[in-house]
Amino acid sequence: MNILPLKVKNLNYVVNGKNILKNINIECNNNNVTIVAGNNGSGKSTFLKILHGLIKTQNNNKIKWGEFYISDIKREQSMVFQTPILLNRTAYENLLYVAKKKNITEKNYVDKIIDKLNIKNISNVNTKYISGGERQKVAIGMSIIGNPKIIFLDEPTSQLDPAYKNDIENIINELSYNKVKIFMTSHDISQIKRIGSEIIFMDNGEIIYHDSVKKFFEEKQCNLISEYINYG
Amino acid sequence: MLINILETAFDLIITLNDDLFEIINLSLKVTLSALIIAVSISIPFGAFLALYKNKYQSLIVLISNTLMGMPPVVLGLLIYTLVSKKGIFGFLDILYTPTAMILAQTLLIIPIVISLTYEEVYKKNKDYNLLLNSLNLNNFSKLKTLIYECRYALVTVALTGFGRASAEVGAVMIVGGNINHYTRVMTTAIAFETSKGSIELAVALGLILILISFIITLLIKSLRKIS
Ligand SMILES: Nc1ncnc2c1ncn2[C@@H]1O[C@H](COP(=O)(O)OP(=O)(O)OP(=O)(O)O)[C@@H](O)[C@H]1O
Ligand SMILES: [Mg+2]
Repeated sequence: MNILPLKVKNLNYVVNGKNILKNINIECNNNNVTIVAGNNGSGKSTFLKILHGLIKTQNNNKIKWGEFYISDIKREQSMVFQTPILLNRTAYENLLYVAKKKNITEKNYVDKIIDKLNIKNISNVNTKYISGGERQKVAIGMSIIGNPKIIFLDEPTSQLDPAYKNDIENIINELSYNKVKIFMTSHDISQIKRIGSEIIFMDNGEIIYHDSVKKFFEEKQCNLISEYINYG
Repeated sequence: MLINILETAFDLIITLNDDLFEIINLSLKVTLSALIIAVSISIPFGAFLALYKNKYQSLIVLISNTLMGMPPVVLGLLIYTLVSKKGIFGFLDILYTPTAMILAQTLLIIPIVISLTYEEVYKKNKDYNLLLNSLNLNNFSKLKTLIYECRYALVTVALTGFGRASAEVGAVMIVGGNINHYTRVMTTAIAFETSKGSIELAVALGLILILISFIITLLIKSLRKIS
């Protein structure tokens, strides 16, 4: 089952007369980590949600994952939202909920996820009481349940402390090594350098750069991008 | 004078006076039956309305919201015309029975529970629909999850319905007829006993009603805290 290349042709997304994504055309054949970067409001989260089939655009058929349309492979995808969405239950029960929905019957599966994410200390606390960073950890745990083939991570480490950020980056590298396609937004330049393989840079609803991360930092860039890099 | 009445009323309550007990017992039976029927229909239906957008949805919600404010006595009148001898459901022969009273209270509670459930589930769906869609759930699973996530709020909704129905007098008076030992409930008994001048029993029942309302308020308050 080959989900690459991802091809997007002439994708537009308009809400209330506002053109949020403008004529997006990309072909992505990179099977490592793809970074989606750009200033606030440039359309990163919207773009990921569309690739995940959470937002219906005027024509979703303009997106193909290999041979597949989004609806064919939605169950192979998962997403960590910029603001993690957790159910009003304990962290453990949130993970168990996702495992059940993915028809996972393996005993101790959730315990393994809890170990992997190192969140034993909060596993029996209702998620409404846990901290922002802890919410991100639980959401990341939920996203890897059931071995999805594509994972969208919308600023998944924005609230994590340095050590934990490092742990998550290791998990992301491991996923990527195991052939999971990762799309990740980040404003963290050093993080982009550490784990990114290719980068899509967005500005005002358009993709203005799409190439390897290596080139992104080596080549001379337009003012907008070099500012983004310099301030980062 | 007032002290004497209260004293007798408390006496009636503390000694669990037979008449008093019978009336309270029937009231609770009628209202609880109505509540169970109404809730088991209205919670799934209200949640369904919140989840499925279509052109009838907003109309149904509008109607439900309107019916929520309908005076119970009008509802009683309506049911009366339907189940009285000449009505189209006259053959059921349920006028002046507890069944008719349960029917009236059920219909009274249904729009309340539908409208309030709709609101709660609609709000929750806004918070959760990205996650539920991301998990690729079918609509039935979404509905189950949202109802579960609203569980505390929905108990509050049910309590609100219970409070409304147990305090209501017009509808059960019309369709129940306030028949002694058969269809006499707390509210109709209060109206009747007062008009008859035997104020002590009425006051005793009034105190019980206030107590019930107090308990419901307490429950709702503590539910708000945990949810
Ligand atoms: N439903 C909507 N209605 C109106 N405007 C919207 C809607 N969704 C997104 N937008 C607008 O589209 C633009 C892109 O939003 P998006 O969330 O994709 O940005 P982003 O690149 O993820 O930004 P950030 O870095 O702040 O997360 C923003 O200007 C936002 O206000
Ligand atoms: Mg965003």
